[in-house]
Amino acid sequence: MKRKMSVLLIAVMIVALLSACVKNSNAKPSGSSDPKSEAASGKDVLTIATTAEQGTIDPAVTMDNSAWKLTYPAYERLVEYDGGSTKVKPGLAKEWKVSKDGKTWTFTLNEGHKFADGTAVNADAVKKSFERLRKIGKGPSEVFSVISNIKAENPTTVIFTLKENFPPFISTLAANYGSIVNPKVMDHEQNGDLGQNYLATATMGSGPYKLAKWKKGEYVRLDQNKYASKKPSFKKVYFKIVADPSAQRLQLEKGEIDIAEGIPVDQINAVKKIENAKLLQEPSLLVEYVYVNSTKGNKALKNKKVRQALSYAVDYDKLIDAVQQGYGTKMRGPIPKGLWGHDDQAKQYTYDKDKAKALLKEAGASNLSLDLLYSDNKTWWETEALTIQSNLKDIGVKVNLKKVAYATSREMMDKGEFDLALGMWSPDFGDPYAFMNYWYDSKNFGLAGNRAFYKNDAVDQKLRKAATLNDAKQREKLYQEAQNTVIDDAPYILLYQKDFLMPISKGVKGFVYNPMLESMYNLADMSK
Amino acid sequence: MKKMIINRLGLLIFVVFGVTLISFLLSHVIPGDPARMMVGQRANEETLQQVRQQLGLDQPLLIQYETYMKGILSGDLGTSIRTQKPVIDDLEAFFPATMELAIIAFIFALVIGIPLGVLAAVKKNSFWDHASRIFSIGGVSTPVFWSGLVIILIFYGYLNWFPANGRLDMNIHPPTHITGLYIVDSLLSGDMVALKSSLHHILLPAIVLSYAQLAVITRQVRASMLEIMEQEYIRTAIANGIHGPFLFFRYALRNALIPTITVVGISFGSLLGGAVVTETIFGWPGMGKYVVDSIAYLDFPAMMGFTLLIAVGYVIINLIVDLTYYVLDPQIKG
Repeated sequence: MKRKMSVLLIAVMIVALLSACVKNSNAKPSGSSDPKSEAASGKDVLTIATTAEQGTIDPAVTMDNSAWKLTYPAYERLVEYDGGSTKVKPGLAKEWKVSKDGKTWTFTLNEGHKFADGTAVNADAVKKSFERLRKIGKGPSEVFSVISNIKAENPTTVIFTLKENFPPFISTLAANYGSIVNPKVMDHEQNGDLGQNYLATATMGSGPYKLAKWKKGEYVRLDQNKYASKKPSFKKVYFKIVADPSAQRLQLEKGEIDIAEGIPVDQINAVKKIENAKLLQEPSLLVEYVYVNSTKGNKALKNKKVRQALSYAVDYDKLIDAVQQGYGTKMRGPIPKGLWGHDDQAKQYTYDKDKAKALLKEAGASNLSLDLLYSDNKTWWETEALTIQSNLKDIGVKVNLKKVAYATSREMMDKGEFDLALGMWSPDFGDPYAFMNYWYDSKNFGLAGNRAFYKNDAVDQKLRKAATLNDAKQREKLYQEAQNTVIDDAPYILLYQKDFLMPISKGVKGFVYNPMLESMYNLADMSK
Repeated sequence: MKKMIINRLGLLIFVVFGVTLISFLLSHVIPGDPARMMVGQRANEETLQQVRQQLGLDQPLLIQYETYMKGILSGDLGTSIRTQKPVIDDLEAFFPATMELAIIAFIFALVIGIPLGVLAAVKKNSFWDHASRIFSIGGVSTPVFWSGLVIILIFYGYLNWFPANGRLDMNIHPPTHITGLYIVDSLLSGDMVALKSSLHHILLPAIVLSYAQLAVITRQVRASMLEIMEQEYIRTAIANGIHGPFLFFRYALRNALIPTITVVGISFGSLLGGAVVTETIFGWPGMGKYVVDSIAYLDFPAMMGFTLLIAVGYVIINLIVDLTYYVLDPQIKG
């Protein structure tokens, strides 16, 4: 009998083995390039715990912040964000000028920048990089759809011609999709994919680091780019997947990781008790708000007074406490604090039940019943939805919670199939355009940005004008005017700006938080 | 027996067809647009259409299905929308880890579960029976996310005996790729450093994962043993002076195992497909987390590739279960 049992076990093992032996013939000998053992900790190694595996990391394809944390240090851009500010400074370009009509941008490149294979970064590489991105035609290409032509005048001069004046253009170049890719990527082209398959798990940039190893589901390792103009302190940087927050906390405590990215706000206070770690806290540009469907939802929402009543009904301070443990700042106007264009004097709705009830009465809206759409994408949305439901109940508005899968929620938001919906927004470039024009211009209905399906011709006009002026003062004035109108029209309930919270080992120095580079690190300036 | 195997393998074709058809249809009626997920939130209609075209989503469903099936027949499961890599490559990267964990957990469950079940039946209503019952009720009723964390807290947090994350220390190079199962590969290539590290890493997740299965197996073995022990041939055997372990293992267990095997087969299948929570807690780089991420991203090709793999796995497991019946009970002829 025992023999039979072992036969059974062996049979199971064999089938298991056979089914696991996929593409056995591709087997590679071990230890070819990597040494058997390399230090995983120490002064010249940084280990960051992340919660999820990155998708593709091709800068011309990905729109995902978690992929950007790998690409940002591996590539360089024409201009870079300056330290912790939303303004830009020279990067690959040492200087640039804009023509009077704002349509021609001429960049002069710094010499001496090299890709990780030693090739020099020149104007032709810049041109080809943007052309590749536009040809691929995925998410990032939308941002650069304003470009009509790129010309490499000489090895150090590149000229962009725009279809129209677009002042935020310079900020878009500092974002991740402005990363300049080595033109040799085309050597890796398969079936006309412009190297997308290759670059999904590789880097070909001139940044201080390059991707050295990607162990699926376990970690990604960045090594120094030996040709980079800057020599960072860390020789290796690991992005290690530790999906469970409690495990991250334990590993931070034991010094096995230096930065823990995935500890949710309800567990963050425990981090403060860890002796060798500290909690970084900075206001971020990530904002939480509720879309109030002004044209396609419940008919009552077309009435401005009803929308204002909703904005008065929310107990903001309690909500921030309940949902973010107090780690948030109540919004004042749609442009968040920390971004230029923010208005300290803008009107702010405060919790006022009686006023809300009075407004509803004036509007003649009684027995209002609204659907609140949200998904499981953010862990705190459940609490947030429940808090809003109970707040609105106090003014006699019934809220039906409608929780759906993330992808489904996006589809419904795009089509306007909701009354109220929870949302989060972060700007792609450091310009008030990233809030005002996306949120309120009626040409951006749906997921594109105007998720409240809000239309006001006067606002449209002001926003479109602001988007084509080069004078920052004039633009600011226009945005301020538009802001006053949209706050009064209340197509969104503006909740709060989330705080950026990062548990980091006390030994790590030099990290600078830039609100435009959420979840990215200035690795080259950091040390232990 | 040969006929049975051939029949079963023939059946596999229908299973593959059925599974792909159903999963294809299901994944395409879910509201949600993978092209949308891919281009990001601010893309305009033109970009969106372009991506839909690239993914073939603008084609009629039937044509899309036909393209997909043609791909499968040539060994191509499509390209993952999220990772932009061929699904087969992604599965190849994640499947061995899940398989290895499932096998070790399964061995634990069998090696501990069966003797424990026999013990509980033989010493019915004694201390051992009660202890085994409490142990197995604990197994079925303890959620994995809790037992996993407790085990990490004790063995990693306090005692520091075992690591809490991954398959191998980050500073150890994986053994030569032969099967993708690190334990087997390191044995085959004589890489003792990798062997030690992978055993070290797999122990905690395998224990946690096996606990629930172990409980089910123990209860099943106990129940069948008790039933068998009442049967006349056992009484005859006892009357003939056969007793002790010889009676239990040689005479009773063999018959008691037949219903158990069915449970065991299903339990192995669920170990393969349902290790998501364990994999998440222990940072185990298996398919579970890959699939959950893919679902959130509406990554159809990845979801269907996984479903197909698990379905084929179940057919193979069922085949093994049937073959095992055959071995255990010669009366059953395929």
